[in-house]
Amino acid sequence: MGDPQIFDGKPVLQFSTETNRRSFLKYAGLVGVGASFVAGGILNAPYAAANAPAVAKGDLDILNYALTLEYLESDFYSTGLAKGFLTGRDLDLIAPIGDHEKQHVAAVTSTIKSLGGTPVSKPKITYPAGIFDSKAKFLATASMFEELGVKAYHGQVPLIQSGDILGAAASIAGVESRHAAVIASLIGGNPFPSHIEEHVTMATVLAAVKPLIS
Amino acid sequence: MSRSDFVRGQLSEVQAPLALSALNNRWALAAPGDFSNDIDVLNYALTLEYLESAFYQQGQAAGLLSGTEKDYLDKIAADEAYHVTAITATIKKLGGTPVAAPGVNFGAAFASRNSYLTTSHTFENVGVGAYLGAAGFIKDKAVLQAAAGIFGVEARHAAVVGNLLGLKAEGGVYMGAFETGVAKATVLAGVAPFIVQMSSTPTGAADTGGGSASKDDKAGLYAVGSAALLGAAGAAVYVAKHRAAEQAE
Repeated sequence: MGDPQIFDGKPVLQFSTETNRRSFLKYAGLVGVGASFVAGGILNAPYAAANAPAVAKGDLDILNYALTLEYLESDFYSTGLAKGFLTGRDLDLIAPIGDHEKQHVAAVTSTIKSLGGTPVSKPKITYPAGIFDSKAKFLATASMFEELGVKAYHGQVPLIQSGDILGAAASIAGVESRHAAVIASLIGGNPFPSHIEEHVTMATVLAAVKPLIS
Repeated sequence: MSRSDFVRGQLSEVQAPLALSALNNRWALAAPGDFSNDIDVLNYALTLEYLESAFYQQGQAAGLLSGTEKDYLDKIAADEAYHVTAITATIKKLGGTPVAAPGVNFGAAFASRNSYLTTSHTFENVGVGAYLGAAGFIKDKAVLQAAAGIFGVEARHAAVVGNLLGLKAEGGVYMGAFETGVAKATVLAGVAPFIVQMSSTPTGAADTGGGSASKDDKAGLYAVGSAALLGAAGAAVYVAKHRAAEQAE
């Protein structure tokens, strides 16, 4: 699976604090777990992930990883919608997505707090020039974001321990799937790229937004 | 619930945005006695997938669509057929017996493009809720992963068909910022009008050509290494109940 490149691989994110940056990077420590889980084959090692000690304390990290991505998505839509080049049905369909991402940020934040964790703060986001120059570029980027978001959520499924958190992740992931499909249809893409949603590891997601951690 | 109620989409009104603070309610949607094991859940899913697959086979054969709409629904039909094959193979792999395809009657659903797509829209949203509602019962991590992956695809179907119908974005294309699970009893009541004969007698008919698990592992959910999420849901429960005890730390 090729690494998705958003923003043409240009720098996108800057973490507001060194702690946040390291916290985000720490997720890479979980990647090995996911990778071996997949590479080993589910049949051969159905509970491989269960034996990985890193998973047991990883739920909060996963939530903060999700929160970072939701922050990015939320800011992306706020910025893009403010440009005002969407009208009619396009606007009707995209505006609620921006609202959903805001709700995801709020919900994940409150969930982290309720679990006694500390939510990462919103990253400083720097968009490369041109991303919001046109409806076409905005929607094309949105499409990549959504497809990546779907796969990112699904990639964490086997790593999440808490049933409640998994339920939350699922309920959010399903909505991201709707977003991805709708945007694909708007830009002439394929709304149904696979029979079953694919997943990507944190490593792949990190690679896609690699510039932000460089 | 009558068929017309179902077609009008009343069942989808079950869906409403819920705050994450109400997360536990998601699992409460499935009553404790709804499923006794993973195979029960899978046969429940298989019945729904059979229903959907037959629905689209008949719907596409009716020739009501053209152009992009037809292309989209062709893809959806292929997805559902794949789900039937994959779930069937997985049940076999787990040592279970897949239920046979139920007898179906979709009434006037194919009278027009609008009735076809409207019924499709409701089916898909019910499917989304059904998977989410049942997820908490799934114990096997691989099965959960695949169920999550199917769940996401059903959500795509629901959104795109809602858009084809020109429904309002929120409450038509999207069902809020969070998907909502639907209890088994509600799902079955919703689809009951379309099922003229529920076959509980396993037969070879359940093998829809996906190949036996032994010959083609790819047909099974187990092989879906690329699938993930909703599995999350049940995986959580499994993990919470069993994993902690298995782990050293």
